[in-house]
Amino acid sequence: MENGHSPKILIVDDEKGLRIGTKRLLEGEGYIVETAENGCEGIKLGTASEFDLAIIDLKMPDIDGISVMKEILKVYPDSVCLIATGYASYETAIEAIKFGAFSYIPKPFTPDELFQKLSQGYSRRELIIERKKWKQEREERLLEVAFEKSRLNTIINSITDGLLVVNKNGEAVLYNPSALKYPGFDQIKIEEYILDKLHPQITELINKFLSSETSEQKSFSSQVELKANRQLIVEATSSPVFNPDGTLAGVVVIIKDITGLKKIEFLKSQFVSMVSHELKAPIAAVYGYLKLFSDTSIHLTEEQKLNYLNRSQIRLDGLLKMVNDLLDISRMELKTVNKEIKEIDLTAVIKSIVELFQIEIKKKNISITINVSEKIPFLQADQDEMSRLFTNLLSNAIKYNKTGGSIVININSSGNYIITEVNDTGIGMKPAESAKLFQEFFRAKNDKTKDISGTGLGLSIVKRIVDSYSGKMEVVSEFNMGTSFKIFLPLRNGNNNTEQKTG
Amino acid sequence: MKSDVKKKILLVDDDIDLLEQNKILLESKGYIVITADNSKQGWELFKSEKPDAAILDLIMEEHDSGFVLSYKIKKDDYGKNIPVIVLTSAAYFTGFKFSASTGEEKEWIRCDEIINKPVAAEELVKKLESYFALKEN
Repeated sequence: MENGHSPKILIVDDEKGLRIGTKRLLEGEGYIVETAENGCEGIKLGTASEFDLAIIDLKMPDIDGISVMKEILKVYPDSVCLIATGYASYETAIEAIKFGAFSYIPKPFTPDELFQKLSQGYSRRELIIERKKWKQEREERLLEVAFEKSRLNTIINSITDGLLVVNKNGEAVLYNPSALKYPGFDQIKIEEYILDKLHPQITELINKFLSSETSEQKSFSSQVELKANRQLIVEATSSPVFNPDGTLAGVVVIIKDITGLKKIEFLKSQFVSMVSHELKAPIAAVYGYLKLFSDTSIHLTEEQKLNYLNRSQIRLDGLLKMVNDLLDISRMELKTVNKEIKEIDLTAVIKSIVELFQIEIKKKNISITINVSEKIPFLQADQDEMSRLFTNLLSNAIKYNKTGGSIVININSSGNYIITEVNDTGIGMKPAESAKLFQEFFRAKNDKTKDISGTGLGLSIVKRIVDSYSGKMEVVSEFNMGTSFKIFLPLRNGNNNTEQKTG
Repeated sequence: MKSDVKKKILLVDDDIDLLEQNKILLESKGYIVITADNSKQGWELFKSEKPDAAILDLIMEEHDSGFVLSYKIKKDDYGKNIPVIVLTSAAYFTGFKFSASTGEEKEWIRCDEIINKPVAAEELVKKLESYFALKEN
């Protein structure tokens, strides 16, 4: 056959000669032929497997050809059946076709007649198969499209950013549930005009496309305060949606909640302006003294000169300390501090820091006591950070202490924590001051703190270190009586403190 | 100075170094300078010393700010007739420029002048002189 595929054909006829003759004839032409000698066998073979073609004799002793054909077509409706009849008449032909036959062959037939009919039948069969294949493909594709569509919907609905699509008339076409949480968007109704319900800034973003027939693939964004006082700030982005022919179909708007980001941004810029102010103050002070020295119209006594030089030095010392503290904080912020976690003896660390402060302690005549409960386990920590932590605490305890005061340090362990208490008999704090204790640059300002220099960053550093070990701290302070800091450092800590183990 | 009598200036600033420097500068221009490093002490000095002018720092962390102190001085029977200047470095880091323009603001911000820091001594003296000259006329 033409395309190399061998058609499978069934011959059902009670005439043995015709069966054998036809079989031989067709096999010579490349057909695969099976034969049945009566209607029953014809049905059996024709329904057991699918034949491309069947030639069925109309008149057979047991079952007539049309019934045989009907049974075969029940199982394989795409088999092409030809009815062969010796009593060819218009009526039988019509009847056979009515019941599903492709055509009929009058008996007796010549080989040419047979081949012509079979060739027509096989063309039909090929068409049927092709159509069936095409139909199946189409169904599969439809299924795929449906799946694709529902997957797309699922994705759109899962996005935490709000999404709204409007058409050229400003009517809502598509939105996701996240959009509904934003004011104005909660009034979206599909196919209803929406632009008058949205924030004017967002409407403007959409109108940038609707009002001008631009075919530019470009987006517009703006930050919109949807709830006053920085309660809800979003970034709205509008982008055009084009038809296949390049004309504008609508606009898609994405709403992203950036309230948290803006808050951080605000805090950062606040921090930067505070830092610049704090750095500027000592510079201005020293600069002012230098100007006094260089002003020839001003006479300064030797005592004044010495005093101003001394003051300049104090302010510059403070400036230097502040820059160092800021560098520490910045390193901690950027997490570039590589913790070198080792087993350390916290008591030994604290005792060595106390040694370093001996001069200051003696100068103020402060008595210092360290109480260590039995068997303090080793702490997994970075020695430098622990030193910095307790240096800051101890330096405060000395600086803000009264002359002749005392410092009591208690170290003990409880559960998963080593608890270190640093108690002083210093000037203490008012409750309002305690509340601001860990704010950068906060320093309680009153008659008592006037002559104490500090950067206002020490406790902020202490807190950052304690936090980085998942520890906690408590402060108890009484104005004029003293302050007590309690530091809890965990002995075992699954996450934070070992995150950047280098040692 | 036009007048033979030395004018007395009250300086209030919580930065003791800037306070000292402005004191020396103003003294070198022939003023008597009294200083306080917080607004509470500044108010007490104002009441007891009756200065001819007051120069106040805006941001002071203890007690009241310069605006509050200037409000109190301007409410005072004696104080309402003396020039009060508020110095501020706020403009440097906030970008705000303070000035009392509306009626309501003038109600609350009672000082005669808000000057951004840093301010040259010559400028301060010029301001003071113009206020004193105005009064004498």
